[in-house]
This record gives sequence, structure tokens and C-alpha cells, in this order.
Amino acid sequence: MIPALAVMGLVGVVPLLAAFNYAFFDIFTIQQAYWVGDEWYRQIITSDRFYASFGRSLLFSALVMSVQFSLGIALARMVSRMGPSRIFVLMLVALPLVVPWNMIAMMWQSLIHPETGIAGRAMAFAGIGFDYKFNAIHTWILLIVMDTWHWIGLVVILAYAGFSGIPKAYYQAAAIDGASSFAVFRHIELPKITSALSIAILLRFMDSFMINTEAFAMNAGGPYYATSFLSLDLSEDIKAFNYGSTAARSMLYFLIVMTVAWLFRIWVERQGRVDDGVQVVKVGG
Amino acid sequence: MVASVPKRLGRALVLLVLAVFILLPLAQTILLGYISTMPKTGMPIGSFSLINYGNIVKSPVLLASIGNSLTYVLLNVSLCLVAGLPAAYALSRYRFVGDKHVLLMLLTFRLTPPVALSLPVFLLFAELNLVDSPIGIGLVHCLFNLPIAIWILERFISEIPRAFDETAFLDGHSLPGFFVKMLIPAIAPGIAVAAFFCFIFSWVEVVFARILTVTSGKPITMAINAMFTFQTDVGLVMAMTTLSLVPGVAMIYFVRNHISKGFAVRV
Repeated sequence: MIPALAVMGLVGVVPLLAAFNYAFFDIFTIQQAYWVGDEWYRQIITSDRFYASFGRSLLFSALVMSVQFSLGIALARMVSRMGPSRIFVLMLVALPLVVPWNMIAMMWQSLIHPETGIAGRAMAFAGIGFDYKFNAIHTWILLIVMDTWHWIGLVVILAYAGFSGIPKAYYQAAAIDGASSFAVFRHIELPKITSALSIAILLRFMDSFMINTEAFAMNAGGPYYATSFLSLDLSEDIKAFNYGSTAARSMLYFLIVMTVAWLFRIWVERQGRVDDGVQVVKVGG
Repeated sequence: MVASVPKRLGRALVLLVLAVFILLPLAQTILLGYISTMPKTGMPIGSFSLINYGNIVKSPVLLASIGNSLTYVLLNVSLCLVAGLPAAYALSRYRFVGDKHVLLMLLTFRLTPPVALSLPVFLLFAELNLVDSPIGIGLVHCLFNLPIAIWILERFISEIPRAFDETAFLDGHSLPGFFVKMLIPAIAPGIAVAAFFCFIFSWVEVVFARILTVTSGKPITMAINAMFTFQTDVGLVMAMTTLSLVPGVAMIYFVRNHISKGFAVRV
């Protein structure tokens, strides 16, 4: 336990405490710092921009997750009914996970380039005008498609792990009862994969909520701030060497993360109790 | 289960669409990597050639960046495994004061976006002389990889019955001896999966990799970023990107049979 805690302490706890401290100062250089109390926090949480970014991040997470989870679960369900070739499908969906994050936006931009891109030329040929630079809706569509491409593999792999953990006997019992495919999904598969999916839900929520590199590389938060998410505001502060404000923002984001992690834990614990309850009923019945 | 013919057709169609969706951006990248895109090379733009790969081999900066990336990624993977294995064992086998807090802390740090900690990490590492060195990046990537390694290893250790440990101790194995001789071989697939996830998440990360390399030790991702100038050689960028995918793809192939048996987060 000790080595792990030492490493986490160095890369996690110490920087966090430092940020907590910086957040109360107006810092020109590290040697020249002036106590400003809660001013940075006040400035951030009273600015309209913070809430606008917060809302955009939330909307992005909601859209991305509804697309990725409905597609991912359907795909994983299909894969779990396949023969040995399932390994190839899992390998296929895992491919985008190994692409360096700063390259993803570039790959998609070159793909939809109207003169040299495969998809871009196809769209130009079909007469579809696509302008991700200046049309906010198009930027959003591109970001969501790109994020889905990038992360659907994780959802499929984790959902597949859930599906493959369901004992055969459940399916046999359902077949004897003459349950429809949808009923099997709703009453047997969905409850059984929830625990496997919970981590996917959590990871996807936080990572999309704090999306940074890909969104910045795509359109730098534009057009007109339409895709400036929470973490892009933070990057902007860092680039301006605004230490105090950066630190205060970091602390606020960390608080959000902490709250989400804590809610997640409560949810998982409740989930565990429900599962136990079901088991008791089964033994009794 | 034998599927009916229309069902099979439908499945084949879905798989085809999926394959096109996943492979199209990759195909675009790989293709461009083989096309000359700069006029100065003496050959017409757009012709098929290996010139981009030739240019990579001729550039010491680009070659060094591959070496830099591999160094810190491998360092990170070994750190995560060495620190993660005892922690995972402790969390799997013992109940101790604060174990729940440790789990919540791991979860929180995995979720914290790197950009939120980048400034204090930079200042701290500058103090410790870890800027511009692969050790710094390898270390800081533990922030999100160590929790993942612990979750995966814990899951695999918990699948081994407790009697396995007890028998080993009765046979006179010490705790370190038991770790090396019995536990590690028993959870080898788990170690492979943990190494896989640590490898790819460290390989693809750019926020820390950027701020911790100011003048030297640039990783492959930053070397590619640096190629974007007034006149970007897109072919070269794409060739380099293609190369950057090779280790990850190899890793996928390596753990393909165990890949879905990873994550089960404990909180």
C-alpha cells in the first residue's frame, strides 16, 4: 500500500494542496504573491461565462453519452451472440483508443477536407456543405461523431464484459417462458450489465464533461465560444499565466469531480444492496 | 444459438458499417502518409512514395521523440505495476482503517482532468528538477494510471480463492516470495491487461506531456504538433501519426483474449 500512496501523494495530493494555496493569492511571480482571499472564487462563480461553459459541457456529456451508450450496448449485445470472430470486433473497436489525443482532431479534419479527404469529397459530391469552422451546429456534430469514434470501444468492451458474465441458465429459463428478445434485454440483461457499465458511465461522463485536447484542437472553442467547454476556459487561464485564477478554477473543478465520485459511490452501494435483495428473493422463491 | 439468415445478414451489415466508421479516419491517415505533399522534393505533389518515411528516418529529432515516448511510457507501466500490485493485494485481502477513503481517493484522482492539476504539477516538478525528463512524465501519468492498474489487479486477485494464499504461507513461502513465485504467475493475464491500459493511456496523453517538456525530451505527440508550421508537410505528419499507432495496435493484439476482463471499479 505504501508505494502506491507515496506516488499518489506526490503527483496528486501535493499539487492539489499547492493549488488550494495559490488560489488565495494574486501571483505575478511565485516570489511576489498578494493575498486576495476568496476573490478569484467570487470572480469565477459570479461570471456568466462559467455557467455558460458549465451548461455547454453538461449538454455535450448528455449528447455524447446517449449516443455512445445506446450504440455501444446494442453492439456489445450483438457481439456477445457471435462466435470466436467476436475477438476481431473487439480489437476493431479498440483501435481508436490507441490514437494520441492531439492527433484525433487532425485525422478527422483531414478526413472531411473537401478536396483531399475521403469523406469530404464524398460530401462535396453529394452536395452537402459542411463547415465546422464557422457553423456552430456543424462543429458540435463533428465533435460528437469524433468523440463517439474515439470512445465507443471502451463502452463496447465494458458492456461486453457485462454480457459475457450472464449465466446461460438465465437465457434458457427465458426461452422456456417464451420471453421476447426485448423482454430478455429489459429484465435479464440490463440489470445484469449495470454494474459492469457503471464504471463506463462514470469514466465517460467525467472525460466528456472535461473534454480538452480534442475540442481545442478541433476549433479552439469556437465559433464564437460555441464549443468552449469548462476545461478550455481553464487552459486559457493557464496560457495567460494567471496563476491565482487557474488555481481557483482547478479547485472548483476538483470539487465537481469529488462530488461526482462521491455520488457514484452512493449509487454503487445502493445498487449492491438491490442486487443482494434480488438474490435473497431468488433463494426464497 | 443458430441465427436465421436475415438476422445474419443484418449482423454482417452492422459490422460492415462499424468497420467503415472505425477504419475510415485511420485509412485516410495511413494513405496520406504514403503521398508526397511538399513541392521541394522534386517529385509531383500527390504521387505515391515512401519519401515521408524516409524523411522520418533521416530526422534525428523525430527518431528521438519515439525513443522519449517509449521511455516514459515503459517507466510509467513498470511504476504502476510495482506500486499497484501490493496495493491491489492489500485492498483485495485485508480490511484496514481508511481503505474506503483510499478507494474514493483513487477514483477522484482518476477523474480529475489533467489540465486542472497541470500548473501545480509543473511548479512542483520544476522544483524537483523533473521537467524535460522522461522520469517526470512517467511519474505524473501515475495520477490516472495507478488507479486503473489497482482496479484491474484487484479484480484479478479477488478471483483467486483465499485458500491459495494460505496454502502458500503454510508451505513456508514468505510474503515477497509468494508474490514473485505464485501470485504473479497466477494473475499474469491481469498484469497484461493492466499493462495494456497503462500503456495506451500514457501513450496518448498530451496535457502533461506538453507542459513537462519545455525544451527537450519531447514525446512523439509533441513532435507531431511541432510539425504544424506555416507550410505543413501533411504527408510527413500522417506518416508519423501512423508510426505512433504501431505500439498501441501491437498491444491490442497482445491482450486480445483478455481485453474485456478488465475494469471493475471498487469504491
